[in-house]
Amino acid sequence: MKPLFLFPYWGRYLGYFLVLVHIPIVLYKKQLIGLHAVDEGVFNGQHLFFMSTTLLVAIGLFIAAFSKEKIEDEQIVQLRLDSLQWAVYVNYFFLIVSLIFSTDTEHILFLNLLVPLVFFIIRFRWKIFQNNRLIKE
Amino acid sequence: MKNNIRVERAIKNITQADLALAIGVSRQTINTIESNRYVPSTVLALKIARVFGKPVEEIFTLDDED
Repeated sequence: MKPLFLFPYWGRYLGYFLVLVHIPIVLYKKQLIGLHAVDEGVFNGQHLFFMSTTLLVAIGLFIAAFSKEKIEDEQIVQLRLDSLQWAVYVNYFFLIVSLIFSTDTEHILFLNLLVPLVFFIIRFRWKIFQNNRLIKE
Repeated sequence: MKNNIRVERAIKNITQADLALAIGVSRQTINTIESNRYVPSTVLALKIARVFGKPVEEIFTLDDED
């Protein structure tokens, strides 16, 4: 059984690393880019900062989510598909709820960017953890 | 679907890890198949049957629920 295109095994750690790297950058935002009083245009400081940090998280999560397992077999493929389905369900649930109860489109977009991948990773890893625990019993 | 992989393994005296290695899957997969938590594909079922040198029907049998 040949899975679709996936990143190599170490991609998971690269992905987590990118996500972790973004946290201090966001925390020390003011020291890094300073406060620009006059900041105009599409590619202003704020936008560039937001774009680069968001890309860091999105790419990190993407690589972490879609990297190979050490032993790729059909059960892993099945778990991955199940988790993806759950992630889409959860994402649309949040999307619909936030569309009804909120008008903050920027944050809705941000939520939509993170929820599917984060939920997918958590659910997928949890299932693998459960299978690993079963084997030790 | 029920299976008697555990019994067949005992007869052949091989571990879950040995069987997993022989058919190219993880030990977790063998474990979940044995405990009826995962139904293998036809390809995998045939591979398992080949390891034990028996027809698939002798290892995997349909359940009442199937």
